[in-house]
Amino acid sequence: MPPLKITPTEKRKRPYFWLIILVVLSLVLITAYAREDSGGPLHGLRVAVQTTIAPVGQAGKWVTTPLRSFAAWTAGLGVSRSELVNLRAQNAKLRAQIVELQEADHAASTQTALTDAAQTGGYKGVTANVIGLPVSQWERVIVVNAGSLKGIKDTMPVLGANGLLGQVIEVGPNYSKVRLITDQESGIASFLQNNRAQGITRGSLSGDLTMNFVSMEATVTAGDTVVSSGLGGVFPKGLIIGQVSKVSKEVNSLYKTIQVQPANDMAQIESVIILTNAPPDTNNLPKAVPTTTSAQGGN
Amino acid sequence: MLTLNNKVLAAIVALLLAFLLQVAVGPSIAIMSVRPNFLLVVTIIMALVNGPVEGTLVGFSAGILLDLLGTGAFGPAALVMCVVGYLAGVLHERIFAQGWLLPVLVLAVSSFLYELFYLVVILLLGQRMSFFSALFTKAIPTVLYTTLVAVVVFPALSRLLREKPMMTTVRHMPRGMGGKYE
Repeated sequence: MPPLKITPTEKRKRPYFWLIILVVLSLVLITAYAREDSGGPLHGLRVAVQTTIAPVGQAGKWVTTPLRSFAAWTAGLGVSRSELVNLRAQNAKLRAQIVELQEADHAASTQTALTDAAQTGGYKGVTANVIGLPVSQWERVIVVNAGSLKGIKDTMPVLGANGLLGQVIEVGPNYSKVRLITDQESGIASFLQNNRAQGITRGSLSGDLTMNFVSMEATVTAGDTVVSSGLGGVFPKGLIIGQVSKVSKEVNSLYKTIQVQPANDMAQIESVIILTNAPPDTNNLPKAVPTTTSAQGGN
Repeated sequence: MLTLNNKVLAAIVALLLAFLLQVAVGPSIAIMSVRPNFLLVVTIIMALVNGPVEGTLVGFSAGILLDLLGTGAFGPAALVMCVVGYLAGVLHERIFAQGWLLPVLVLAVSSFLYELFYLVVILLLGQRMSFFSALFTKAIPTVLYTTLVAVVVFPALSRLLREKPMMTTVRHMPRGMGGKYE
């Protein structure tokens, strides 16, 4: 059988040849990835690439800082040229010092707040810096600079300074990906702190948080605190998710719909703490009923 | 004129550059969590200046790179990107116009097709979201942003990736074909 060779003439005659091959290959990849476990070759390839490019995201944040600063600077262009030159000369040194001090102060206070947030619940955690912002518009996933080498594992809860931030969904040696609670794939068993009404707090494509399945009988007002309930075995009980911002009742709906303002400002996250010893509150989980029948084994 | 090796090299450089921009710059220039798709820009420009085969191959490679960046299923971006690269290349073969307006229009249409197909594929793969909400709040704004980026980079990138030099002279009709100077 002659080897498969596409001549330039055939290429022009049958441009769909490669399309068919690559569409089939894509479908094979989709299926293979879905069927393999987390240690499979495609998962491994993804982790390897993410590990390699983790510093690139960090460098990107650093590189684009002047762009953001420039945008802020253009807002003050009303000052005359001579004034600007004088002010620049006078302020250059002070500005550098202020920025340095502010950064040191901010880092210290953030670190303290994160540690306090973890210690309040009696948890241990690993602090990490955000090194990658969401790359795709379809998901709200950030990258932090702590991975399996620091003991981070899949599904660990992640806190910001003011409360629950998300959950680890992918771990590499030196990075972890954290799905934010505002991501559309995120869902947290939660309750309202003042009346203990249970519900599920979900993210959305737009980044809004909504608490669903809250009974119509429950009294809910703006400002009520929403915390994780520990049900479902994913997040520990008592982590602050946010505050109620709006309550609505849909016509013919069995439940209230509650808009929740996240406790953390998702656009300004710089540091996080990953809880490494936060088992879910299993007291609230349904207990397994021991088998009482004498029949053992089976096929 | 680019030789085959040069063309492959140019495509690889453009893809890697777009990949780096996607990772390093894209998140920082996001507007309302919408960011331009640099890899799609390279795919469509490659298809527009070289044809459907090149568009398909570069599209698949760009899609694999996008899939490597994501956290969900692996392969949807490759699937959609190679189809859109092919379609953009077919459009290229039907277009005999110079200038930037028509290519940019094709780019906008191709970008929209990519976002639409991708949305449908990830919905079919189990992503939970409202189709129309995703279309109007994510897909269409992304198309606009990507097209805006494409307008800026199109002249330089098309020159880099073009297989044959652009025809800038009027082609005279040969003798016997009713040419003016016959």
